[in-house]
Amino acid sequence: MMGILSYLVFFATVASIFAIATLGLNLQWGFSGQFNAGVVGFMAIGAYTYAALTAPAQHEHVGGLGWPVIAALVAAMVVTALVALAIGRITIRLRTDYLALATFGIAAAINHLALNLEGITGGGRGIAGIAKPFADLPPFWFGLAFLALAAFVLALIYLMLERLVRSPWGRALRAVREDEVAAAALGKDVDRMRLTAFVLGAAPMGLAGALYAAFIGYVSPYDFLAIMTFQVWAMLIVGGSGNNAGAVLGAFVVWALWSMSGIIVVQIVPTQLQVQGGAIQAILIGVLLIAMLVFRPRGLMGERLHSSPLLRDDASVGRRQ
Amino acid sequence: MKTRILLALASTMTVALSGGAALAQGAQCPVRIGAVISLTGPQGPIGKPIADTAQLAVEHVSAAGGVKGCPVELALRDDTGQPTLGVDAARYLVDVQKVPAIVGVVGSGIATAIVSAVTTAAKVPMVSCCAVTPTLTRLSEEGKTGGYFFRTIPTSRVFGVAHAVAATDRGYKNPVVIYVNNDFGSSLLRDIEKALGTLGGKIAGAIPYNENQPSYRTEVNQALALKGDALILLAFSQDGATIAREWISLGGTQNLVLHNTLRSTDFINAVGARFLTKAVGIDNAQVAGPSVDAFNAGFKAKFNRDPVGPGLHTVYDSAVVTALAMQQAATLDGTAIRDALRQVQDPTGETVVPGVEGIKKGLDAIKAGRKVRYVGATGPFTFDKNGDVTGPALVWKVEDGKLVTDKVINLEQMTALFRRIGF
Repeated sequence: MMGILSYLVFFATVASIFAIATLGLNLQWGFSGQFNAGVVGFMAIGAYTYAALTAPAQHEHVGGLGWPVIAALVAAMVVTALVALAIGRITIRLRTDYLALATFGIAAAINHLALNLEGITGGGRGIAGIAKPFADLPPFWFGLAFLALAAFVLALIYLMLERLVRSPWGRALRAVREDEVAAAALGKDVDRMRLTAFVLGAAPMGLAGALYAAFIGYVSPYDFLAIMTFQVWAMLIVGGSGNNAGAVLGAFVVWALWSMSGIIVVQIVPTQLQVQGGAIQAILIGVLLIAMLVFRPRGLMGERLHSSPLLRDDASVGRRQ
Repeated sequence: MKTRILLALASTMTVALSGGAALAQGAQCPVRIGAVISLTGPQGPIGKPIADTAQLAVEHVSAAGGVKGCPVELALRDDTGQPTLGVDAARYLVDVQKVPAIVGVVGSGIATAIVSAVTTAAKVPMVSCCAVTPTLTRLSEEGKTGGYFFRTIPTSRVFGVAHAVAATDRGYKNPVVIYVNNDFGSSLLRDIEKALGTLGGKIAGAIPYNENQPSYRTEVNQALALKGDALILLAFSQDGATIAREWISLGGTQNLVLHNTLRSTDFINAVGARFLTKAVGIDNAQVAGPSVDAFNAGFKAKFNRDPVGPGLHTVYDSAVVTALAMQQAATLDGTAIRDALRQVQDPTGETVVPGVEGIKKGLDAIKAGRKVRYVGATGPFTFDKNGDVTGPALVWKVEDGKLVTDKVINLEQMTALFRRIGF
């Protein structure tokens, strides 16, 4: 039983970390309609910032700065936000598919920088020996303590974002998402709002990357491949774009799909055929994703149609298709 | 609907987890060895035959009587080339399926993540077939693997030593290096620098290049300005030919030392054999001998083809040496197996070779309390203090447009050189 518990704690930690990134994407896509296809790039920036600030000195790359964990987590968020600000200023005029292509390219560029900026990132060898909080606890308690940390951060980000999107600014952001021209005509600074949402959404992605680095204790460019962007997107779409609780639920469901499908395959496929298991797992993930989208097109939890908890859902409130 | 989906999900999870636990509780038989290998994803085409071979190794062990009288099963998981999933799979194998050891693991990034997050803390040995990264050596040196990391594939240091030997044998004292700008190139460069320093040479300078460019004139000119007495070229086939052509046409020396990626007739034809009369190159020496033949025969019997491809020999060894260590260990516990992994390589022990027959002899000898030495599909190998292995290398040259072997650095010489250089 301890084993199962230990695995579940591990699973919940990774899912919580993904949930933090999904919340960030939800602000960018769900509430302001910006198609960021470079989620993994921002996660990588956070992870590498955290790693560079906490890893011990190594002859190949900088290190030995010995920042405390909390300070490094905050720094990872700040650096990611600054990078997002720079990227956002360049891409502010781009809409939908153009923005998607640009951010996808930027994420690829970030991956190549990680591979080549050896002095900072350690290149393809990555950075090992990153400070893990609670590292001196026995393995099981380390897992539990880290889960508490990840869950605390997740709750914090969730509450902050909930407050943000329910504020007048949040309503204005949705107005911008639905119709930029109309919002501008009402005197909203559309570019500024989009940029703010982009930067505020990127910061949790960086934080998620930093937590991941702190949890595993090692980062390399292979941790941040394009598939991870797809996973975070799947979490948001399955959970319910435009709903923060949905984003968190989606992260847990989709990550369960990814990891547990492998377990199920191991149990139903006879040992001799398990080499084929990988393909079965990939098909299973695809089929389940499609099924969820067919039966719950708005995600497990759709967007709430009212902006105030005091109002009832009202069909007359317009909804973006 | 929402509740129903959640319920369905929760029950699936319960079934998945409790199923694993039920299997784990039948503790004694069959004995499980965990494996995390890329079956899909970018490494999938390489990983699948590796997984097949790991399966073959486990079948051989079971047919030979199994570990502690139990048949052995491979608990195989796909990492899809994503470290996050690799770590998750390893966590499940260790926590829920209670495997006492993990073999395989193709990608270096995945192996390091698993060592860093799972196996070391859980005190479960990992015997990797294919991860060559020097980071793991460093982690071992710093004591961060707790001695629970092993691999059956030689690290890039073997190449570094071979390059240094090939250069100094010909009296090159100040070679220039042009290397591919990636993990492989830069770590190999450092190994060459260190080996060359011990053998009495010094690199005049090193120029990195990026892959798949139409021309490398800039890099070649930079390298020419360093005025070395030879060129060590660490490049992949096509780029290597472009660089060598430009180097020679711009008046560079024909004293070339080439990497194993350039050991092909394509390269010779692309550059021109008459410019390569002074060129030498290096490669892994294919070990030969009865133990290698035994593996090749076993592989052919099962798959009806020759074992050609990366990781096949090494993964077989990683699984078999782990099984022997499990037989040797007093209990099936990670730490006991870690220590036993070195005991089954006793130089004074009876030689154990691949194949059902060979493994059976080994398992029986261990049961009878006799010492054994596993000589595997990759020939004889010994884990050093970091869990790494060395291997033999060869130096080749070009004669009349053909590749010929110039000299072989055998395992004993390589081990002695490693000691001298301080690897």
